[in-house]
Amino acid sequence: MQDTGVHLRDVTKSFGAVDVIRGVDMDIPRGQFAVFVGPSGCGKSTLLRMIAGLEDTSDGQIAIGARDVTHEDPADRGVAMVFQSYALYPHLSVFENMAFSLRLAKRPRVEVDEKVRRAAGILKLSDHLDKKPAQLSGGQRQRVAIGRAIVRAPDVFLFDEPLSNLDAELRVQMRLELARLHKQLGATMIYVTHDQVEAMTLADTIFVLQGGHVQQHGAPLDLYDDPSNRFVAGFIGSPSMNFFEATVAGHTKDGITAQLAGQPDQSFDIPLRHRPEQGTVLVLGMRPEHLMVTAAGGMRVTVDVAEELGGVSYQHGTLEGGEAVIFQQTGARHGMHGTVQTVTPELARIFVFDKSGDRVR
Amino acid sequence: MTAKRARNLAFSAIVLIAAAIWIFPLYWALTTSLRSENRIISDAGVLIDELNFSAYIDVLSTSKLPLWYLNSVGTSVIITVIVLLTGMMCAYALSQLRFPGRQTLYLLVVASFMVPVPALYVAQFVLMNDLDMVNTWWGIILPQLIVPVVVIVYKQFFDAIPREMREAVLLDGGGEFVLLFKLYLPLNWGITAALAIITFISAWNNFFWPFLVVTSEDMMTIPVGITQVTDAFGVAYARMMALALLAAAPVIIGYLIFQRRVTEAVMISAGVKG
Repeated sequence: MQDTGVHLRDVTKSFGAVDVIRGVDMDIPRGQFAVFVGPSGCGKSTLLRMIAGLEDTSDGQIAIGARDVTHEDPADRGVAMVFQSYALYPHLSVFENMAFSLRLAKRPRVEVDEKVRRAAGILKLSDHLDKKPAQLSGGQRQRVAIGRAIVRAPDVFLFDEPLSNLDAELRVQMRLELARLHKQLGATMIYVTHDQVEAMTLADTIFVLQGGHVQQHGAPLDLYDDPSNRFVAGFIGSPSMNFFEATVAGHTKDGITAQLAGQPDQSFDIPLRHRPEQGTVLVLGMRPEHLMVTAAGGMRVTVDVAEELGGVSYQHGTLEGGEAVIFQQTGARHGMHGTVQTVTPELARIFVFDKSGDRVR
Repeated sequence: MTAKRARNLAFSAIVLIAAAIWIFPLYWALTTSLRSENRIISDAGVLIDELNFSAYIDVLSTSKLPLWYLNSVGTSVIITVIVLLTGMMCAYALSQLRFPGRQTLYLLVVASFMVPVPALYVAQFVLMNDLDMVNTWWGIILPQLIVPVVVIVYKQFFDAIPREMREAVLLDGGGEFVLLFKLYLPLNWGITAALAIITFISAWNNFFWPFLVVTSEDMMTIPVGITQVTDAFGVAYARMMALALLAAAPVIIGYLIFQRRVTEAVMISAGVKG
């Protein structure tokens, strides 16, 4: 079968003297659901728009399958895009919105009708084909935007934060529908979001971007379990990872003893293959679910706010040194608000980073 | 009676008086057109005490009114269509295309407001004469095709259309013409109708330029034709008023039908003109 994967080689984008995308390489195999995630201004939307052809590529090469599309017009790339604002044509009916590209391509009337109705069937829009976009709800409008992409039968679907304008409940529902659609169509999809929950639930591969670089890419759980730097560790996971400064107090047989800054009685024996020299300043990362409440001997946390979610609760507090800390409680029903708790990390689940933020393994 | 109610009544009275003052000339034209020429000279009364249609019959049967109507309709329609089409395309280019000199070009369009149209009449007349266009429709039409306000209004409306919609069309395989005629124009039918109405009315009412460029009675537009209604004894008031009312009729009827749009158009262009 024809390769419709997306391949980027040393792709760069500059606006004047400012580089927003800096030498990005990536391979998204055919049929994969790739998600670009990162904070505002990290370049994820720009990168997507470059793949769409809506932004010029300053340097490097973009290929779809074996075809170099770096300098091709958007319409000739075999991509379809779903915008955050839906970008539906307000003066046209749902049917005409979806038929627009086929009409421009002068496809026969029967074919237009058949393709639009089939897409409308997939997206449960068959009863709304005569309506104008203004008469639809947010979720329906989003589906029309997706339908407009489907009728073009593109090699690659591009989604630019398509769910950000929907309310929370609808967002969850549309997320599931998108996942289902991806299975049904089997097309390559690239999805941009700043919401790491969307990224985790939808992606085959996540690309975490920051400052125009891909910081790390991989399967969602791989990024969660094995982040390669502090930025990825902090970005993936909600609530985010706790970070504490520490120094290497000594070496053990298979790792180091790290002492928490400002808390001489708190030291942890952490297994590490590469052991930094004694006195090296490190940053320890601990996920909220890896901090256990213990009777005594752990880090003392004054709980300021308790977020009770039913199944789990997140306790937000401060260490004695003033550092903010979040730990997770499962099944606890008693409020910890205002109390002092002692928590101990699972030693094997402590992530160690050097001062520049790179992971030490 | 409360003070507020009294204020409202006083305000209504002032508005009514102002409206009466405004409408009086029209009313007087109507009564004059319904009298005989002799009676107007002897009694310039304002009451409708006579229903004499001879002035209308005379104007319709002896003047070239039908031909002037045709000239007015023809030139006004052509001016409206060309002004809107070129204005729209110019505005689209200034609003959506990126090319060197775009800002300068836009400033030039805006600056053209500062040139009073009558200041150009002599130059335009010489040009039309050189082009052999005196006494032709094109002679009437060409100098009236420069309407910067249309460009500026369209540009403002085009600027307001979200960029993503434009990009969606590009991805759907549309080019600039598709964008203009299938997206930007349909999204702006309201303003297009409004601009069409004010352009048409100003072309229809234009007196001075057609008066200069046309000397042949066959090529006159209605406002110019009105000046032709004299007889051996001077101005024929009844016939002149009858002709003036006939000339204004299409505009008045058009206004009544499109009242809302005209008001909108006048407000928009007034806003632009500051």
